[in-house]
Amino acid sequence: MPSTIFDQIRTLASDLFATSPDKISQSSSPETVVTWDSVQHLNLVLAVEEKFHLQLSPEEIEQMKTIGDVVKLVEGKLQTAPS
Amino acid sequence: MPITIQPYLPEHEPAVAEFSQRLKTATNDPSLVFPRYAVPRWLPPRPGQSVWNEFFLAVEGSAVRGAYGLKQEQLFVREKGTYTAACYHHSLAEGIIDRAYASVGVLLVRDAVARQPLLYVLGMGGPNTPIARMLKALGFSLTALPFYFRVVHPAKFLLEMQALRENRWRALLMNFAAFTGTGWLGIKTIQAAAGLRTVGADLLAEEVDEFSDWTDGLWNDARESVSLAAVRDTKTLRLLYPPSDTLFTRVRVSRDGKAIGWAVVGERRKDSKYGEMRVGSIVDCWASPENAAAVVRAATHAIEKRNVDLIVSNQGHHLWGRAFETTGYLKGPSTFVLAMSPKLTELLQPFEKNRESIHITRADGDGLPRNF
Repeated sequence: MPSTIFDQIRTLASDLFATSPDKISQSSSPETVVTWDSVQHLNLVLAVEEKFHLQLSPEEIEQMKTIGDVVKLVEGKLQTAPS
Repeated sequence: MPITIQPYLPEHEPAVAEFSQRLKTATNDPSLVFPRYAVPRWLPPRPGQSVWNEFFLAVEGSAVRGAYGLKQEQLFVREKGTYTAACYHHSLAEGIIDRAYASVGVLLVRDAVARQPLLYVLGMGGPNTPIARMLKALGFSLTALPFYFRVVHPAKFLLEMQALRENRWRALLMNFAAFTGTGWLGIKTIQAAAGLRTVGADLLAEEVDEFSDWTDGLWNDARESVSLAAVRDTKTLRLLYPPSDTLFTRVRVSRDGKAIGWAVVGERRKDSKYGEMRVGSIVDCWASPENAAAVVRAATHAIEKRNVDLIVSNQGHHLWGRAFETTGYLKGPSTFVLAMSPKLTELLQPFEKNRESIHITRADGDGLPRNF
């Protein structure tokens, strides 16, 4: 079964934040994940851009408050991306 | 409410003051404050000026969540020409104290790169600080600019230099070295052995109140010896070191009446890492490489006259580094890092070869006029 966007982002986040994937949920945020600081936020932005071949605007980066927000953002961008 | 990056305007000043206060209160670090006024006190933008400062804010509704400064200036790149580039400085983000704003740091850096792709950052406290790690992740090249120091008063140095006194036993050892004179002997021996290799005495060093046209020839003659330098023509020097600024001593060095170089020296503000020592700094300097040692020696004499205990300098260019070493300076660990954006690094290809002749000093970045 192909992995969902959430699964892929959870894997990225768990690698970046050095935490187990089952500790990452849709509601995970810098306030609940100890290692999610400003540097790791940048790394998450860069990892998402690379993984999904996207370019995130400042407004979109600012919307990334939780993992759920990142998932929604990526799903939305992939839907509108030219095929 | 979305966060947007906007130029700092006078109407933002109260919100900036509140932002600084929040950072200061939460961290107890008085250095975490952003300039109080929208118009920079140092190098405000003026028509026709080649170096100027401007500030930007991350604004959420009526609150300020982050801020940074750009010092726009002219950078000379060997074999390429002169480019307008910028130094990114004073970046502060609410994310330091509230993780809900972890994205602000990223927004600030990306905004700065978008405004000026030829961007550099200087200092940062080492290559492993959050800002340095963030820049590295964005593809910036990181280069530590070597640190040179010369001990003028060894006993005071041994008693006050905090890095030498990290634990009780080391502190006792330093006390012993200071009080018995063995430290004095050791330090003076090392420095004298190196200092013997300095240049001859057919030189004239004079302190001047201001820089004038004679510096243009020096700039033009020596610039091909560096792979990159912030422009130091007369016009720029007079902006950086205006005649009204008495913090600095400007030294003109000449041989047979002909100017061969210049230096700017000053006494640094008190810094806990130097204890109670008076610390002089060779802030800025320029000459062709063969005259570098003469300029360093003249600058050293000028700052020693202020009765400092220690003289420090950071120098990127390897030949200037050698000039400091042949003039009795010792090389120490450096936390003064130059980070250059991918576009700026690209201009310096082949980078590994050109990296060693970048002429960046403590006068670059946001260091002047007080924090050099």
